[in-house]
Amino acid sequence: MREEYGEILDAAFEHELRDARATGASPFLVWIRAASDVVRRAPYEHWRRRGRPNRREHRMWFFLADLRYAVRTLTRQPGATAMLLTTLALAVAANTAVFTLLDGLFLRSLPFQHAERLVYLNEKAPRWNLEFTGINYPDFAKWRDRAHAFEAMGVWEDLSVNFATGDGTPERIDAAMVSYDFPSVLGVRPVIGRLFTPAEDVPKGPKVVAIGYDLWQQRFAGSNDVLGKTIRLNSDVYTIIGVLPLAAEFPNRAKLWMPLGEDPKWPYSNYYLDGVGRLKPNITVAAAEKDLYDAHAPVWATTDTMRNVSPRVMLLRDRLVSSYRTMGSALGAGVALVLLIACANVAGAMLARSVFRRREIGIRIALGASAGRITRQLLTESLALAAFAGVVGIPLGLWALHAVLAINVGFAPRWTVFAAGSHTVLFSLGVIVATTVLFGLAPALELRRQSVHGALGSSTTRVSTSGRDRRLLGGLVVIEIALATVLLAGGGLLLRAYDALRNADPGFRPDGVAQFRLTLPRATYKPGLSQKAFFEGLVSDLSRLPGVDHAGLVSCPPLGCHWGRFYTAEGAPPLAKDAPNPVTLTRYASPDYFATMRIQFVHGRPFRENEGLARTGFRPIVINEEMAKQLWPSVADPVGKRLTSLGDTSQNWQTVVGVVHDARHYGLSKPMIPGLYMPMTRVDSATDNDSYSLVVHTAGNPVSLFQSIRALVRTRDPELPIIGLKTSRTVLDESFSDARLIAFSLAAFAAVALTLAIGGIYAVLSYVVGRRRHEIGIRIALGAQRRQVGALVVRQGLLLVALGLVLGVPLALGSLRVLSSLLAGVTATDPVTYVFVIAILTITGAFAAFVPARRAAAMDPKIALNDGA
Amino acid sequence: MKRHWFFILLSLADRDRHGLAIMRDILELTDGGLKLWPVTLYGSLDELCERGWIRALDEPPPGSDGTARQRWFRMTAAGRRVLAAEVDEMQATARIATRRLAGAP
Repeated sequence: MREEYGEILDAAFEHELRDARATGASPFLVWIRAASDVVRRAPYEHWRRRGRPNRREHRMWFFLADLRYAVRTLTRQPGATAMLLTTLALAVAANTAVFTLLDGLFLRSLPFQHAERLVYLNEKAPRWNLEFTGINYPDFAKWRDRAHAFEAMGVWEDLSVNFATGDGTPERIDAAMVSYDFPSVLGVRPVIGRLFTPAEDVPKGPKVVAIGYDLWQQRFAGSNDVLGKTIRLNSDVYTIIGVLPLAAEFPNRAKLWMPLGEDPKWPYSNYYLDGVGRLKPNITVAAAEKDLYDAHAPVWATTDTMRNVSPRVMLLRDRLVSSYRTMGSALGAGVALVLLIACANVAGAMLARSVFRRREIGIRIALGASAGRITRQLLTESLALAAFAGVVGIPLGLWALHAVLAINVGFAPRWTVFAAGSHTVLFSLGVIVATTVLFGLAPALELRRQSVHGALGSSTTRVSTSGRDRRLLGGLVVIEIALATVLLAGGGLLLRAYDALRNADPGFRPDGVAQFRLTLPRATYKPGLSQKAFFEGLVSDLSRLPGVDHAGLVSCPPLGCHWGRFYTAEGAPPLAKDAPNPVTLTRYASPDYFATMRIQFVHGRPFRENEGLARTGFRPIVINEEMAKQLWPSVADPVGKRLTSLGDTSQNWQTVVGVVHDARHYGLSKPMIPGLYMPMTRVDSATDNDSYSLVVHTAGNPVSLFQSIRALVRTRDPELPIIGLKTSRTVLDESFSDARLIAFSLAAFAAVALTLAIGGIYAVLSYVVGRRRHEIGIRIALGAQRRQVGALVVRQGLLLVALGLVLGVPLALGSLRVLSSLLAGVTATDPVTYVFVIAILTITGAFAAFVPARRAAAMDPKIALNDGA
Repeated sequence: MKRHWFFILLSLADRDRHGLAIMRDILELTDGGLKLWPVTLYGSLDELCERGWIRALDEPPPGSDGTARQRWFRMTAAGRRVLAAEVDEMQATARIATRRLAGAP
């Protein structure tokens, strides 16, 4: 059939999809119906085409009969079967989604040849409290010359550039400055043209650029004569020498590459570059790091005699996914728990079902069905369930993952691919087999063993076996509740942490503030005064916009960039050799910046207009509480104290005029480091800072200012793109998005787990009430109050919950400590969460017991006694 | 006779059609009541070919805008006889049923 009609069938399916799209019907529905068409018809087609019946044919016929029988059995109890199928499909969907996510992040290889030999290079400075300092180019030059463990190494800097599009709207695009050997490390070859030569990677080298594939397609229609053409970047003219392949959009989807052009001999070079290296075969990361230490030795001998900074090597992939590790294991563990609960659920359901079918199977055996035949029958039932779970669960999981990622743009790094590959399919099949076949078949086999003897036998056997079944079922439910407790507590803790984060004091008031950033091209604005004049003029224009009450200027806004320096207090003893010397976040700010952002002064005051001009010799600064604590731990009010840059011999004292309760610059879940503000008056012709953020406060909705802000910037420089024009509230909210995503994912898993566990309680109590109707009937006939009977059942349900909690709470307390890095603001043993979890399980547990309890209380003793006797 | 066999034969009674056209024609004939999804459709067409009631054409009939991806079918004389017999029987059944319904209280 497939060879003969494959193409036609494919075309027909495509046609259906097109039709559905045209009429607005759901393509998903078409997919399901087409799949059900295949499932219904395919076995028949196989059978029809087999020709003469043979032994295999015979088996096939049995299989079809079994399948038909299984479907009929399963549809006889539509409610229970629907519940089972929903459970399975959801568990498979959740596992498929999470596995695909983890596969994309951790397992899929990076899009480069021998990616396992690629390492990330950086430098670390424990004394400065910095895990990554960025690479200093002169250090890198030494490594490149002296290291032996590497086939190649290169450095890059991510940045963005102003791109003049030619149609009037300037654009800000992502780019990378790369050393000439960077492409060879990754194994990137140009699509057309060439990449950079060592002669181009020098200070003040030729202005050449390699454009990315997307840019080539979009701006130049993929034409070959793009080579030699020019584009305007940062108001300067660059010549295109090559086109990069798609894989080169790495790691941050740079749209173009420019040569780095650093000078290896420049003594004041910053620590700012990222590095990547390709190890020689069979070199370990540890060996490579040792090799780099050797190569680094001349630096320690000359410029860094304190050995503040040392090289750092790690696998490239580890670096790229390091921030996803805890989240990945939390999601993985969460989804595995859901799966376990689903397994217990399926096992319980199959067991309960099998108990009711004991008689049926006994009869079939008595009529001559072989043991193998019965097993095959039961296996087929499990397989039918499994097939459905796969057909629905896998697409559902992939769809859910893509929906979640589409909402949370920017969550996943850009190089990741999330697709159903062979990994995913194998994994999902494994999950399906585990849930259905193992957990569904095992009770069924147990049943077969018993049936032969017991099913048709006396009622005494039945009572004793049902007691065993009940204990087994109860045990399964207790396990479900225990696991659900762990998930509920985990989800609850993460939600509490997210809530704490949202309500945490960010150190500034984000409401009513709009912010954006401008980067001036050096070609048209001279460093220092010309840059400053532009920004100060713009701020005063902004403050005069209608509706604006404050406007300010800062070099790095909260949650923005970082510029670190070192300071020492007047009269402080020199630092001991190994004493920690944490870096201070240093910013330029205009006087009105503090009022615009509503940053609170603990002591002192903000800068005054024109305070700190060079000729006055007075250098005012505003410091944050952290810095005050650090430099003057015993002083209550440090206003008037003086400090200077570490190692500054010219005694340029800077005087504290104010202490602020500073903004949490690195995100609300991260601690604040010492910080310092300098006034704009300190910017002089030697200061090269081309980029500032502008903040504007209004009493109304800040979004209403966007239009006039854009217009204002355009009148001042039409070639200048506005970067990240947003409300500060949005910026703050975006900083929570990862916490929100993981909290809500785990909460969703917890909700599924709760539903399953509650369903388990309901099922087991229904079963118990059903099995014990004789006993209940007798009790009622003997005069027991109906309320008492109902209470008995509810008490049984609550006992299950209590046992589950006794097992689950210690389990949660023990295991959830792994989440602590995600739990800023709450402890892993947060009592509120646990009280809530216990309450919710008890209440919903009682609720689940209520229905069977009512059934028991309403039982008519006559019917109950007549029925099975 | 199976219901979808009947409608496939009926669809081919007045002219040759390809698979998709048969599917659409049946949808129209039954007022949307019977939709043959691809596997069922081509499976049934294959069965009818085996029985010799219809046959697949080697190439699209001249004048059609068919592409190589479509396969055209034509009803055979045997098919026409079977269909006619089926229709006769349906008519007979319908007559009996009408009479009985009319006579019912």
